[in-house]
Amino acid sequence: MLTAAKNQLKVTKLSIKYAVMREMLNKTTFVSNIIFMILNNACMIIQWIVLFSLKDNVGGYTFQQILLLWGMSSGVYGVAHFFFDKAFSLANTINSGKLDAYIVQPKNVLLSAITSNVKVSAIGDIIFAFVMYFIYGFNITTFILYILFLITGGLILVAVSIIFNSLSFWFNNTDMVSDTVNSLMVNFSTYPEGIFKGITKILLFTIIPVGIANYIPIKIITEFNIYLFIINISVCLLLILISFIIFYKGLKKYSSSNLMSARI
Amino acid sequence: MAIIEVKGLSKNFKVKMKEKGLKGSIKSIFKPKYKIVKAVRNISFDVEKGEIIAFIGPNGAGKSTTIKMMTSILYPDKGTIKVMSYDPIKDRKKLSYEIGTVFGQKEQLWTHLTPYDNFKFFGAIYDLPDSVIEKKIEELNMLFELEEFINTPVRNLSLGQRIRCEIAAALIHEPKILFLDEPTIGLDPVVKENIRTFIKRMNKEFKTTIFLTSHDIGDIEKLCKRVIIINDGQIVLDDTMDNLKYHYLNKKIVEAKMKERINLDDEDGINILKDKGYNLKIEVDTTKRSVADALKLLNPDNIIDINISNIPLEDIISNIYKNKD
Repeated sequence: MLTAAKNQLKVTKLSIKYAVMREMLNKTTFVSNIIFMILNNACMIIQWIVLFSLKDNVGGYTFQQILLLWGMSSGVYGVAHFFFDKAFSLANTINSGKLDAYIVQPKNVLLSAITSNVKVSAIGDIIFAFVMYFIYGFNITTFILYILFLITGGLILVAVSIIFNSLSFWFNNTDMVSDTVNSLMVNFSTYPEGIFKGITKILLFTIIPVGIANYIPIKIITEFNIYLFIINISVCLLLILISFIIFYKGLKKYSSSNLMSARI
Repeated sequence: MAIIEVKGLSKNFKVKMKEKGLKGSIKSIFKPKYKIVKAVRNISFDVEKGEIIAFIGPNGAGKSTTIKMMTSILYPDKGTIKVMSYDPIKDRKKLSYEIGTVFGQKEQLWTHLTPYDNFKFFGAIYDLPDSVIEKKIEELNMLFELEEFINTPVRNLSLGQRIRCEIAAALIHEPKILFLDEPTIGLDPVVKENIRTFIKRMNKEFKTTIFLTSHDIGDIEKLCKRVIIINDGQIVLDDTMDNLKYHYLNKKIVEAKMKERINLDDEDGINILKDKGYNLKIEVDTTKRSVADALKLLNPDNIIDINISNIPLEDIISNIYKNKD
């Protein structure tokens, strides 16, 4: 069991390494993708500077917390898209019959499929996340927690995407649904929790679990709370479990295809 | 003992039907209609170790579906499959260590990597230690003559070189069975011949069982001793290559250049394929009339040039396809 897990990890690492190598073929694009993503995120902060010049807090967040929220949200996005970018276009992989190549290999089909591509600009998001954290203020405990929450948040984002993309096994062309959920996850994660009320708030802690992935970590970093910490970790694990179950249930319905294709 | 056992295998696909035009599209949203396509219908066969078997049939006959069920990609609706005594669905991982697959229409290699890096990756997928991978790459390099381009990114290779690498990559873990789905599709005759030589060499050196589908009669004729023909989801023929030829080769084609015109219209056992005055092409049914008889009818003194040939295997096979429709 342990050897199998070790081997799986080795292949996943290799897969990500080769995907990075592919992106590095064009040095200029590689570097500019990263830099422009950092700039892009930084531009968004400007509107908050303007807002906070008018008001002391927005939705219960101070300016420092907004910076942390932006860092958290771009870092979570970065982790998810750097390591598991294909999870966000899984519906397409399923519909075009490209899972074949992974099914005939003695490794986990889902992991092989979602780690076969990296998004270079996501490195920019991760760098931006750390810049924001250091502006917020460094402390070894919160730093470790911050890294942990970037990972759990990234995994939550990936798991939700897998769940919605896997619907493609049953209904064709569900890309729209999963794309919408993915962008909702990202959009909501950049606004302070306090501005949402009622049904929206319920949605943010259930179907679009931005609350668990982004808001809870901000609360924990500001003031540690063991219950919230347990909620964050257990929801992350639960969603991963559900995503695997749904994917493998769907795989039984997989109908492949005879489209001409290349692995690019 | 059989290395592959397939019993009573069936697979249906549910296909959405749509009436033509925009109206049809709107209607299908509210009242979708489905059609069941029986892709594979109750087929059974065995494959022995070391065999090279041709699994052929017209487009849409169920070849790929069958191969995909044998390689764990698709779930069968009914029936059992045992490949090296593994059930492809329950024992997907265990089975994949024992089989290799090459789908001519689908690329498995990473195109931006060199074949060498690809082989290293595939080796890691099958948990081979680095030293073993290096040894294996050396061996495959020799067998498939990859030296020239082993360090060139796959996307810069010609189709022929790429297919050679695809097959080599599928062999890195020394599979006992290799599934080749149209490996020579789109290749020129010289490269095709090359690939065939490699396949034969591999079968001989590693005793690999080869399950091949192809539309190329050359592949089938030159590689396979046994052929299974599938049409409309059912097996219509499962026989040795020799038997296939023997049973179906009861017709000869005679092409003759004549001094004088001759009329063979009402002759029994003779079918005129082409009659251009002095050039004649006829088909002789040897169960009704011997070739010698047919020649007498033409009158040997009247013949300037003559050519007697078998019906091409391609025609035999397409006849089988048509007859069982």
